[in-house]
Amino acid sequence: MTGTLDEFLARRWEDLVTLTLQHLAVVALSLALATVLGVLIGLLVWDRNVPRTAALTAAGIAITIPSLALLALLSPILGLGWAPTVVSLVFYSLLPIVRNTVVGLREVPAHVIESARGMGMTPAKTLLSIQLPLAWPVIVTGIRVAAQLTVGIAAIAAYVAGPGLGFYIFKGLSSLGSVNALNFALTGTLCVVLLALLIDGAFVLIARYSTSRGLRV
Amino acid sequence: MTTRIATPLAVIGIVAVMFLWVSTLTLDSIEQRTLNTSYLLDRTQEHVILTVISSGLVALLAIPAGIAAYRVRSKAVRAGVVALGNIGQATPAVGVVILLAIVWQTGFYTALISLVAYCFLPVLRNTLTGLEQVDHATREAARGMGMTPRQVLWRIELPLASPMILAGLRTALVFSVGVATIATFINAGGLGDMIVNGLKLQRYPVIVVGAVLVAAIAVLIDLAAGLVEDLVRPRGL
Repeated sequence: MTGTLDEFLARRWEDLVTLTLQHLAVVALSLALATVLGVLIGLLVWDRNVPRTAALTAAGIAITIPSLALLALLSPILGLGWAPTVVSLVFYSLLPIVRNTVVGLREVPAHVIESARGMGMTPAKTLLSIQLPLAWPVIVTGIRVAAQLTVGIAAIAAYVAGPGLGFYIFKGLSSLGSVNALNFALTGTLCVVLLALLIDGAFVLIARYSTSRGLRV
Repeated sequence: MTTRIATPLAVIGIVAVMFLWVSTLTLDSIEQRTLNTSYLLDRTQEHVILTVISSGLVALLAIPAGIAAYRVRSKAVRAGVVALGNIGQATPAVGVVILLAIVWQTGFYTALISLVAYCFLPVLRNTLTGLEQVDHATREAARGMGMTPRQVLWRIELPLASPMILAGLRTALVFSVGVATIATFINAGGLGDMIVNGLKLQRYPVIVVGAVLVAAIAVLIDLAAGLVEDLVRPRGL
């Protein structure tokens, strides 16, 4: 029997590690970009009613768009591979990050902001060195939600030749009927699940060590 | 409220502009085979049917399961539901769909079952959390008024938990539209067919029409679910 999972893993574990690392890389890159962009949007709109509602509504609508549709629309423009994958992952990460940035910044108690102003801080300085650190734990939660979302979407991006474990899942489908079809799809899927759980766990540490020292619990 | 009116109008506007654009194109024979009214209606119908039936099944199965999980009041069951929910959330939809197609068969029923399986856990978890969030004092007051546990459940706990349960169902519905797109990979039809064929045959208009229609359905279903949410929610809340 050539189709056992043991043999399959013995022969392909290096491949699997490479794909897992690629998957992690594309998710990490997209999250980093989305964090910069999302926090920036949040900082710009949090205290203005109309832009804030507009940004949150737009992001809320954007997130309902099926990922395969977005990838398909992007691929004629951006080609195949990393580019459409990263753009779509950033696209889907924006809602949780922008929303949580806005919520976090607005949750800072008014008297804290008043004290900062009383100490002579400018509004910009207050925003960056008082409100942003206080809002950071909420923002990290948003990034964590985005991470869960993007790990799954990155698997679909393999359809437009995106990097990562989706390659094995689709390979399972294309070799339907052969002995290794199940092995490909199963290892691909399980590695995505594992990766997602590991990333989620890592966020406990990220949240702790990126939070301002005085706020750590 | 303005978004409630502006968004569907914008969606309809975009779809209209898209069809106007397509009507100005000279289509080759491959494009004509997909970009005609009967093909588009068939695919849209398949897509909506798959989405609605699966969400309906999820509501029928997951909400009672959530209530049952709540009523046994066991920490182990709760922990199990939460843990399973987390793993379910970490599982890629495309993996579920393709795995089921490999171990069973391809086609509509496989897509339906994987959609139900995929949306079951989030709705179950929302039901359980919603019921648990009901204030203990409220529950006690109801018991003190002489209500039986069954009455407390139906007249106090479920209405108070309904916003959370409905929010879970709405998420499931929107999710189903997305996963139903992937169903094309296992020959279950739907608008995903157009996206995949368009990509394979490099016919940009076919991709655009498929993708825009599917996005429009997702946005409109989300809005419709939001309206239903507001109507069904108990007045006092």
